Amino acid sequence: MNAVLTIAAKDIRQRLRDRSVFIIAILAPLALAFVFNLVFGGVLGGNVQLSVGVVDADEGPVSDGFAGLVDSLEAAGLLDPTSYPDAAAARAAVDDEDVGAAFVLPEGLSARVRSGQSATMEVIGNVDASTTAAIASAIAERFAASVRIGALSAATALGAGVLAPDELEAAAAEAGMAPPPVAVTAVETDTRQLTGSTYYSAGLAIFFIFFIAGLAITSMLGERSGGTLPRLIAAPIPRYAVLAGKALASILVSLGAMAVLVIGTTLLIGADWGNPFGVAILVVCAVLAVTAIMNAIGSFARSAEQGANLQSVVGIVMAMLGGSFIPISLGNPVLAAVARLTPNAWFLDGLAELQAGNVADVLPYAGVLLLMAVVWTAIGLPFMRRAVAA
Amino acid sequence: MASDRILDAVGLRKRFGDREAVNDVSFHVAPGETYGLLGPNGAGKTTTISIVTGLLAADAGTVAVAGQPMTPTALAPRRDVGLVPQDLAIYPDLSARENLKFFGRLYGLSGGTLEARAAEVLDVIGLADRARDRAKTYSGGMKRRLNIGIALLHRPKLLILDEPTVGVDPQSRNAILEAVERLSGAGTAVLYTTHYMEEAERLCDRIGIIDQGRLMAEGTKGELVRGIGGRDQLTVRGTGSLEAGAAALRALPGVESAGVADGTIQAAVVNAGQVLPQALAVLTEAGLSVTAANVEEPGLEHVFLALTGKALRD
Repeated sequence: MNAVLTIAAKDIRQRLRDRSVFIIAILAPLALAFVFNLVFGGVLGGNVQLSVGVVDADEGPVSDGFAGLVDSLEAAGLLDPTSYPDAAAARAAVDDEDVGAAFVLPEGLSARVRSGQSATMEVIGNVDASTTAAIASAIAERFAASVRIGALSAATALGAGVLAPDELEAAAAEAGMAPPPVAVTAVETDTRQLTGSTYYSAGLAIFFIFFIAGLAITSMLGERSGGTLPRLIAAPIPRYAVLAGKALASILVSLGAMAVLVIGTTLLIGADWGNPFGVAILVVCAVLAVTAIMNAIGSFARSAEQGANLQSVVGIVMAMLGGSFIPISLGNPVLAAVARLTPNAWFLDGLAELQAGNVADVLPYAGVLLLMAVVWTAIGLPFMRRAVAA
Repeated sequence: MASDRILDAVGLRKRFGDREAVNDVSFHVAPGETYGLLGPNGAGKTTTISIVTGLLAADAGTVAVAGQPMTPTALAPRRDVGLVPQDLAIYPDLSARENLKFFGRLYGLSGGTLEARAAEVLDVIGLADRARDRAKTYSGGMKRRLNIGIALLHRPKLLILDEPTVGVDPQSRNAILEAVERLSGAGTAVLYTTHYMEEAERLCDRIGIIDQGRLMAEGTKGELVRGIGGRDQLTVRGTGSLEAGAAALRALPGVESAGVADGTIQAAVVNAGQVLPQALAVLTEAGLSVTAANVEEPGLEHVFLALTGKALRD
């Protein structure tokens, strides 16, 4: 254990003397979080409404149901709806950037739903407001799903003899008009939303930690190229102690950087990370996961430079998929599923959960992050051992 | 293992792919003895050192340090070994004192003992006044001295130096050689690899000649020279008939052979010091006006040439 601590202390001393660590771990994420928050913060902030247009050419029970949903989202402060008489007017409003997206409920929509025919609800998006368009699309999809459930329930009731045929229309209409589940979900989404400053602070913090946490294996490769590895493994210490010491140094430096970032972004750009204990749990688990991932990736390399390059690629890809920069997977189920493979997504979602819930609510997210740490350690360990060979 | 051996290597073999890097190498080092492994680059010296220090596992053979088997996982014998790797093994962004204390802790030193030993070693290697400066600010020679100092910190019974003077300026090289002589004189066993004959001749009590992974011969310098039947080389320059002079020399007792090459007379002589006055007299009688005469005793270069068929510097 003494050897592990000795090596960790030496590595930490070396890192702290290397000013680039301060730039990568603290200055860069702080500066970028500030800039991102300034530029994009309003889009994600819970206090900013998304401007959408609504065209109700249906004027039937289904469009009434959708109006109810829009009203509830407006009441929750998420949407700022404007009515337009037809699709052309809505499209012009979108093109003119009066609204970020528009919902078009076509004439006869309710009738088609009632009769079991396929029906289309159109969402017009503005390429310059892709986030608003993606959110509008997600709202529409969830509403369409609720309408399908309502129609299916009515049809099932008819088949089972629960409803008479003349009662079907009323039942289907009621299903369409009933407060759709999506309205409830939207309220939850709102309350689980991180503010722009918090989102970018957390997203960029976890992104830059990728570049610190991977230093264990690149430092090991550096010992080899620097000539000190033979002397280390000729010392009367087990070889695992060298790896463990370096991993410990990476974890401690990463945790230190995260602590500075949490405090710094709270004080400087008003980030609201949530309950400190819950944040601490998530930060520790995320750092462990990122350390395991980056050291496993780096262990495939033959030199420190090669390792750093590999780690950079993986760190950037995971940050993009995991939503460290923008919530790229919003409204896209495939990307959302892929994002689940990254610690970034679990860390950000855990923090969002902490905003609405209590410390216990972050435990599932922390558990997944710990599982990632275990799995990636198991993947990387055989290759990491190779790095300690003479 | 004999009790008077600090290092006992027996039948070491190591193969990398098709190449036999070390092939049945055996040698031992006694306390206070300096043993040299002399051979050209790629002869197998560093691989042998790596096996002896537990960095590499041997394919066959055994190593014992102070009676304890050395393997890649053995920790106890490592405490008795101080390794000076061929490449600089120091941290440039740490000071000399920090480098020493870091490695000292890995060898179990701590507290006052560590402080005292670090100060002692800094004095020995002449870096006491630069102890707080980062190693990257040192000259090449200072870095080499620190590289050696780290290996001395824990007072090893066996000091292993792998070509420690490669790329070192003459002044630092001399300082390193003097340090090794002092350590050996103080009772530390030294295993010293080099491809410089003069270093091996100056430092080593016994020398192992290694080439292509094989230990060709070992012994004291005298034993090695005698082993190849070495003779002094007499070289004479002059004006007149060189052939007549060579013929006159061949008639002298103690001269085994004499001939003309490169405008000189070259003769293989037993004990040239005694024969030289007579040789000069018969050369004059033979009509040669001698302008220069040089006697060269056979050295390790001749031994290496005789054993391997090539010069050490090839």
